[in-house]
Amino acid sequence: MIQVQDLRKSFGKIQALKEVSFTAADGEISGLLGPNGAGKTTTLRILYTVLQPDQGRAAIDGYDTVGQKLEAQRRVGALPDSHGLYPRLTARENIRYFGRLHGLPEQVLEQNIDHLVDLLEMHDIENRRTEGFSSGQRIKVAIARALIHQPKNVLLDEPTNGLDVMSTRAMRVFIRRLRDEGHCVLFSSHVMQEVSALCDRIIIINHGEVVACGSPEELIHSTGQSNLEDAFVSAIGSEEGLVRA
Amino acid sequence: MSAWQRITVVFWKEVTDNLRDRRSLFSALLSSLIGPVLMLVLIVLLGQTLYVSAREKPLVLAVSGAERAPQLMLFLEQNGVDLRLLASDPQTAVRNGLYEVVLVIPNGYQEAFSQGLPAPVQLVMDSSRQSASVSVNRARALVNAYNLQIGNMRLLARGISPTVTQPLAIQQLDMATPESKAGFFLNMMPYFIVLVVFLGGMYVIIDTTAGERERGSLEPLLINPVARWEFVVGKLMAAIPFAVLTIFITLVAFAIAFNFFPLQTYIGIHIRLSLRVLAEIFLISIPMIVLASALQMIIATFTRSFKEAQTYVAFLPLIPAIPGIGLALLPIKASMWMMLIPTFGQQLIINKLMVGEPISLSYGLVSAAATLVISLVLVFIAVRLYEQERVLFGPR
Repeated sequence: MIQVQDLRKSFGKIQALKEVSFTAADGEISGLLGPNGAGKTTTLRILYTVLQPDQGRAAIDGYDTVGQKLEAQRRVGALPDSHGLYPRLTARENIRYFGRLHGLPEQVLEQNIDHLVDLLEMHDIENRRTEGFSSGQRIKVAIARALIHQPKNVLLDEPTNGLDVMSTRAMRVFIRRLRDEGHCVLFSSHVMQEVSALCDRIIIINHGEVVACGSPEELIHSTGQSNLEDAFVSAIGSEEGLVRA
Repeated sequence: MSAWQRITVVFWKEVTDNLRDRRSLFSALLSSLIGPVLMLVLIVLLGQTLYVSAREKPLVLAVSGAERAPQLMLFLEQNGVDLRLLASDPQTAVRNGLYEVVLVIPNGYQEAFSQGLPAPVQLVMDSSRQSASVSVNRARALVNAYNLQIGNMRLLARGISPTVTQPLAIQQLDMATPESKAGFFLNMMPYFIVLVVFLGGMYVIIDTTAGERERGSLEPLLINPVARWEFVVGKLMAAIPFAVLTIFITLVAFAIAFNFFPLQTYIGIHIRLSLRVLAEIFLISIPMIVLASALQMIIATFTRSFKEAQTYVAFLPLIPAIPGIGLALLPIKASMWMMLIPTFGQQLIINKLMVGEPISLSYGLVSAAATLVISLVLVFIAVRLYEQERVLFGPR
């Protein structure tokens, strides 16, 4: 479970987050929707502990991301906006490195890698050096290493960015599967269709503030629109920075 | 899982990764050979002119007005001088480098000589030309010897013992050892070793810091439950084997160059580097690796890209070069306070070890301790940098 209360964060004079609060529950897919620059990445970075909020607090399964950083880190698997790999290591070695940093015993680690290789269908690439991988192959490795320690909470920053149609479909199937296994999945996107197709709960964010929040039905109802995408536009006030399809 | 285990994981990943990087390996190997190769080239090019040729070849002495002093000419020829009669202007001949030194017998020579008055002779030379100094000294010594010989004969002819004019019997005891005579070349070696300390692990440090950020793997890495200081220590340690290997190869190359290359032909003496001295130099160098790596890490953390980091970090070894060059030109007496200055103390010690002078063990220990303490401060600064948020984004 992810809890965010009244997050504020500034970079110099730029106020990236003014007031962000929400909760993302286990066994649900929560989507952070907003135009570019709305504060989605900053929120996720605070959640996966590489940034500290100026005010407010974020917690992973009740562990504070600042005060109990290591505990929070053990319970979260994140695919950041930048997810570079080590080009001179094979896919398997890339994943193994992160597993070892989590302190997994070697036997458990290899089992987990095998499981993820199956799940993400990377048999053809697991023993190749990652130099020259396609973006679809890269993201598979990046997800596998983020989930190597079987975290309960999964954070994905624009996971389908730059993927082709097939890879995007595979990613959606994968995200649903994580939900069905009981994970708490929080992902960010500026693609309205993706959010409406996947999410059980949607947090709409703009200019560093949560402007609407709820299930798809609740959002349609509260904005008085006839479909979800019109509800998004109505909540944000403009279509700028969003993508419909 | 302990902090040490996590540091080991980071260390082994970086070592494996960089061993597969041709750039890291190639730079480590190539830089280790710069010093020995450059030194041999210098010895072959400079050694010949500075030491051997001037002493072994007969002195070439141009003489203007030789016909005025046939006795002097005979004396010179008997002492193995290759006389050349000069018809043109002596000053122009020296200025143009045609001759290193010209002996001028002026017009009044014969008249003064026959009357027993001091007969004028001139040695025309250019003191700014270092390579001519040996010839000039030899010519001066020969003319002085002739001067003394004639003077003694004149005294004897008057029934006076020549010892009357020699109240002092001057003897010179040359304390130079073969090693100290080759000092010019040996003085360059400490700096070459410091240079290699800086170059050996450079690529590993840049790759694991600026490189990690540039390829976008820093952010995912920092999400792992590992303290920042553990990352910094693991990455720093990964540079150490590369630097140690580089120093080792450098010393082996120096040992081969000194012990098997026919140096005697070029600088007239033989330099031996014993296994013991090599081992001592090796040990003295190790603490500097931590210093160099920590400095490089601090700089690389402030840069945007691998290339930019490379540009700045490459300037670092020029800092110890400043005292290093001073050491090559001026003989400095080592004292304890100098051991407190990292890289300078080590260069002094290596210098003393090479010329075979005794150096107290306490100097080595103080220098190692001072360097390690300053290194720890630098590592601490690097850790503080890694604890800041902006390490993710680099400078703006």
